[in-house]
Amino acid sequence: MLVDFELIRRAQQGDSAAFNDVVLAYRKRTMGTIGRLIARTEDVEDVAQEVFLRLYFSLDQLRAPEVFEPWLYRLTVNAAYDYLRKQRRRPEFRMSDLSEQQVMMADAAAGGKAEHDQQQKKKLRETVDSLLGAVSEADRVLLLMKEVEGLSLRELEKIYRVKENALKVRLFRARQRVLKAFETSEQESGNG
Amino acid sequence: MYPTEGGDDKLDSLLQAYREACPDREPSANFMPALWRRIESRRNLTFSFQRMVRSFVTVAAAVTIAIGVYVSLPRAKPASEVTYLEALAEANALDTPENVEPVRLDLNEPGR
Repeated sequence: MLVDFELIRRAQQGDSAAFNDVVLAYRKRTMGTIGRLIARTEDVEDVAQEVFLRLYFSLDQLRAPEVFEPWLYRLTVNAAYDYLRKQRRRPEFRMSDLSEQQVMMADAAAGGKAEHDQQQKKKLRETVDSLLGAVSEADRVLLLMKEVEGLSLRELEKIYRVKENALKVRLFRARQRVLKAFETSEQESGNG
Repeated sequence: MYPTEGGDDKLDSLLQAYREACPDREPSANFMPALWRRIESRRNLTFSFQRMVRSFVTVAAAVTIAIGVYVSLPRAKPASEVTYLEALAEANALDTPENVEPVRLDLNEPGR
């Protein structure tokens, strides 16, 4: 826990200063999680604010401060999932969709000062994002929570309120699909 | 084609690298003010909606009470028990000579 239970209790009772402190303690971690779940750096802050907005209006429903973190994770997952569903309806151009010449032009337009390391990271993010396109938004989020956020099955059980075995099966299937997409992409890049 | 074990390890490494490529982010200076603005805006919206619902319920209750009172009140007796037709007949009696001639029966009419 990043804050003590007393602070959460006070926030639950409507203490704005306590709520403010809770947000200050969790916002960085929440934004990190959202960034990895939605893979759109420009919208991370907006989604994070939505998470804390939902937290503010639902804090009175929290049974005990001890379950605050799974509760916040649940809000985060739901907000990210809602965002991804909205995005699916909105076509978007990404760098990976552009030709090499267009990417160079875009880089030049952006000042051309992007470092090689940043480019590599960006490419990596796009690769993983594209691989995760092999599964549904719900499975994508679940897989990332397990494999990237490093949450245990027990923690996921609390967040999703689903039995561990059901989660295991779902995770296994999702991982197999991503793995298959990964191997296909590796073969294609090996051939090309 | 089934995924291979080597692929499994490579995918793990890729996801680990992804984790490192997306570190926790620093929020902008505007994060908290913008969040509080959104909270206030939502709170005002909720408050306005509640106020509207309360007003509606109050008006509906007032109208219901008014109708109830109106229906339950005993009707006041009219000033006269005479109906409109009776009053009209009284005002313009048929036997008033200046208005209507009395009917004359001719008993010597053929066929009678």
